[in-house]
Amino acid sequence: MKGVGNQIRCQPKWRKVAYGGRQPGYDDNHTDGSFLEEMVMNANVVKRDFLKVMIDSVSISQYLCIVALVVSTWTHTLNLAIDEITLLKFDIGLLLVGFSVLLLTTSPFSLKLLWKYVLNISFFTSGLYVLAPICHTLTRSICSDSIWALIVFLLLVHLFLHDYSGSTIRPPGALNNPKLTSNISLNASIVASVLVASRLPSWLHVFVIMLFSLQVFLFAPLVTFCIKKYSCRLHLLFSFALMVMALSVTYQLHRMLFILLLALLIFISLVCPYWLIRIQEYKFEINGPWDEAKLCFDITE
Amino acid sequence: MDNQGRKHRILMVSDFFFPNFGGVESHIYYLSQCLLKLGHKVVVMTHAYGKRSGVRYVTGGLKVYYVPWRPFLMQNTLPTLWLTFPIIRTILIREKISVVHGHQAFSTLCHEALMHARTMGYKVVFTDHSLYGFADVGSIHMNKVLQFTLADIDQAICVSHTSKENTVLRSGISPEKVFMVPNAVDTAMFTPSPNRLSCGEIVIVVISRLVYRKGADLLVEVIPEVCRLFPKVRFIVGGDGPKRVRLEEMREKFSLQDRVEMLGAVPHAQVRSVLVSGHIFLNSSLTEAFCIAILEAASCGLLTVSTRVGGVPEVLPDDMIVLAEPDPEDMVRAVKKAIDILPGIDPQVMHLRMKKLYSWDDVAKRTEIVYDRAMQSSNTNLLDRLPRYLTCGAWAGKLFCLVMIINYLVWCLLEFLQPAEGIEEVPDIGPLLTHLDPVDDPCEAQGD
Repeated sequence: MKGVGNQIRCQPKWRKVAYGGRQPGYDDNHTDGSFLEEMVMNANVVKRDFLKVMIDSVSISQYLCIVALVVSTWTHTLNLAIDEITLLKFDIGLLLVGFSVLLLTTSPFSLKLLWKYVLNISFFTSGLYVLAPICHTLTRSICSDSIWALIVFLLLVHLFLHDYSGSTIRPPGALNNPKLTSNISLNASIVASVLVASRLPSWLHVFVIMLFSLQVFLFAPLVTFCIKKYSCRLHLLFSFALMVMALSVTYQLHRMLFILLLALLIFISLVCPYWLIRIQEYKFEINGPWDEAKLCFDITE
Repeated sequence: MDNQGRKHRILMVSDFFFPNFGGVESHIYYLSQCLLKLGHKVVVMTHAYGKRSGVRYVTGGLKVYYVPWRPFLMQNTLPTLWLTFPIIRTILIREKISVVHGHQAFSTLCHEALMHARTMGYKVVFTDHSLYGFADVGSIHMNKVLQFTLADIDQAICVSHTSKENTVLRSGISPEKVFMVPNAVDTAMFTPSPNRLSCGEIVIVVISRLVYRKGADLLVEVIPEVCRLFPKVRFIVGGDGPKRVRLEEMREKFSLQDRVEMLGAVPHAQVRSVLVSGHIFLNSSLTEAFCIAILEAASCGLLTVSTRVGGVPEVLPDDMIVLAEPDPEDMVRAVKKAIDILPGIDPQVMHLRMKKLYSWDDVAKRTEIVYDRAMQSSNTNLLDRLPRYLTCGAWAGKLFCLVMIINYLVWCLLEFLQPAEGIEEVPDIGPLLTHLDPVDDPCEAQGD
């Protein structure tokens, strides 16, 4: 720092520029007060409040209950506690309820859309009916333990990768395509249903249980999504009813399963939101002139 | 400074070198050439490009080692941590290297070479050529690797002040260790056309890869609007990339086939001939640490219109560039402003100014100072250096220490298997012996 004395008299001010070679009197590693002055911290951090996070977490609990209900139905069917005709009636009932919810919540009501749905469902059902005998003997040569293990694994994958904020099957007119992970999740659930169905005694059983699981896995997210979009209060009410139902069914099925589900529900809707709020204070976001600029218009390919 | 006359023996390491082409490649090439002229010994190390493997000599007796490792992604070698040690060690000993200079944060070869060089006790310098974010998975990963490399570095170089801020934030290194040495342009190669273009028709030139990061989507919005407002304007777009289709769609949609010429990829040797056919150079990048393209255009006497991103505002004086926010409206406004001030721009004057503002010799001299500083830093043994890695993070710190300890053991093993005395040293040939005294330079006036 030998230039300090004449710095005041003749030295030009240091400028933040790259041109013109070395700035006289300053080293290239010169760092002054202007260093990092354009840095902005935590510019777009959203303050979350506990209640909102808790309400958001309800979607997850709700879907967890749906899966728990499906698993209970599978168990009862495998134990032959429900016969195939009851289940078929239940399937049809479920289909009609789902349909009406869909039609009531998506405005405007159109006959064309209804016709499209009916056509698709009938194709789908007849396809399943034809394939049922094949599924019936699909895993005959594999031992049951591996099948159960595989089913548990697939369901975990399904739950882990499921798209809780939207639905893999898009409501009509949705813009963006489903993500890869949500597709993997859907496929895992379908494979799990096929595996369960293949352990059943008759092919009518197979058809009925496949129809049931596919209905739930494909359309339940869509139905719940539509309800949520229609009214938040209805969504909460529906979720609460589902939770009560799932808990009571699992309570009758197995005590351990009940405790597990209850613990999971408490964890998801109370502990996790609290946790999220707590770790908010560690949020550290840096922005500055080095950031990649964002385009202010949509790129439509 | 006391060791002003001292000559260094430098190894430049990067995955990116000729025959690849870009900012980093030309930086290494020109810097090496000028350092050779200053009397230093320079050797370049990169990975093999196709059949180009082994040792090659390029212009000015610059020796290039094309190490036989295959690139696996975007011209990067596979990260192997310790597998490159034997060959790097051999090169370091053979060439009697004193300073190892790595380039570019996403070059794996550079990181590995710096790690091995540190283990063997060489002085290391690192140049960062790009900007990175902090939020996405890729950046977080990259920044951790950078932190590892810079934890125990002697000096670092960044190409602009913005890049310096970015590097300091990403790696947590002290800002006093980071030098700002910009890129430059070969003004002898980028000269304006001898006869001045007529102002009857204004030609706007765009030369960039047509990808998202270079703002090809902005061009799609800006070009039709400019064509609508100014009937005298014509565009020449050079470059190729995934977004070329969008530009061509735009051209058809607005029937601008006669006013927007698409050249496709332009080889670097022909960039000048494309540039001199225009009046205005348009750069629409969304992120840019320095942008050599702007320098090349300005050196050819073109007025530049650019987005105000990254280090671009530092690159040229305000009267040589028109800056705009990266949104179409503001860019159209900037193009309008550029067209208004265009009659007052003389390409020859612009070229002469560029000659004064940037030269690779100046860059080499400034880099030389960084090498001198690096040589002054004290020698430390492994145990003294380990705490520097430990401070990199709760888990990462321990992991980094482990990597360095294993690297040290690998070095001991290599010393046992192939002692350093057994490696033949290369005799120095060429410019090193003839230029032992400092050479006079045309850009002496720029220093102090």
